[in-house]
Amino acid sequence: MTPDDDLPPTDAAAALRLIEDQRSQTARRLEPDPRVLYWPWGVAWLVGFGLFFLRFAPDDRVLVRLPGWLPLTVLFVLLLAAAAIQAVAGAKAYGQVTGDSATRGRWYGCAWALGSVSVYAGLGRISEHLPHDLAALLWSATAVGLTGALHMAGGAIWLDRDLFRLGVWISVINVVGTFAGPGWHSLVVSVAGGGGILVAGLLAHLRRRRAR
Amino acid sequence: MTDLDPVIHAQARLRVVASLSALGDGDRITFPRLQDLLGMTAGNLSVHLRKLEDAGYVEISKTHRGRTPTTLIRLSRRGRLAFEEYTEAIRTLLDPTPSKEQQ
Repeated sequence: MTPDDDLPPTDAAAALRLIEDQRSQTARRLEPDPRVLYWPWGVAWLVGFGLFFLRFAPDDRVLVRLPGWLPLTVLFVLLLAAAAIQAVAGAKAYGQVTGDSATRGRWYGCAWALGSVSVYAGLGRISEHLPHDLAALLWSATAVGLTGALHMAGGAIWLDRDLFRLGVWISVINVVGTFAGPGWHSLVVSVAGGGGILVAGLLAHLRRRRAR
Repeated sequence: MTDLDPVIHAQARLRVVASLSALGDGDRITFPRLQDLLGMTAGNLSVHLRKLEDAGYVEISKTHRGRTPTTLIRLSRRGRLAFEEYTEAIRTLLDPTPSKEQQ
């Protein structure tokens, strides 16, 4: 044992400073950087749905002559990349902590996975009987709706204001885009949805930096 | 500064307890991660954890993750309370004005 660090803090102010520094440092290192959590999703939506709008624009127009398979492929690749980045960042931050918050995170992850499968199973059965533009709208409106709802639920679970507000925003723009119709929905989700996620990540980052 | 809890009122243990207090209520952290957060040697951290455990302030449990044995640490209810009282006492020392003198 080193005898030195058994000494009491030099005075009350030093003790309080030590407490506050240690607590904020621990909290910071046990939470992933919000930019890493939000921004990859924002980019995926911005680019993925953006390509959808350019290739499958309103009234069956084609704004940019891209191959038909490209937008969906790019969207899926970017979404998978965002999920992988989030998983790595999460494991790095929470990997060595077990208990209630780990359970919370695991169950929330289950809600995403199982919820998506159960919703998309039904869509798969229906969408083959729909014209292409309506099928695309049904898929993206449902996916975005589920995302909005789960973000709000996440905000409620962790009392995270940024996450909850983002869920509200995504739900609202989803309604707007759906009523605007096929093609327009992609544009709204790309710009307002993807942009909204990028802004939410920035706000969460700034809030955290101020709290230090 | 004489009435302060002697178990917590030592720089190293104060840092350990403050770090553990930043975890969620039902959470445990592995020994290596705590060591990494605090930047202490394993031997030094063990010594201080033992003192805290003897006082009933931390709970240390040994478990297995797959095949590797893992040591998990958390602040006990008593430890959390002691830390809160200590922090409160420090705040009062720094600013002894409120409530009591107003009555």
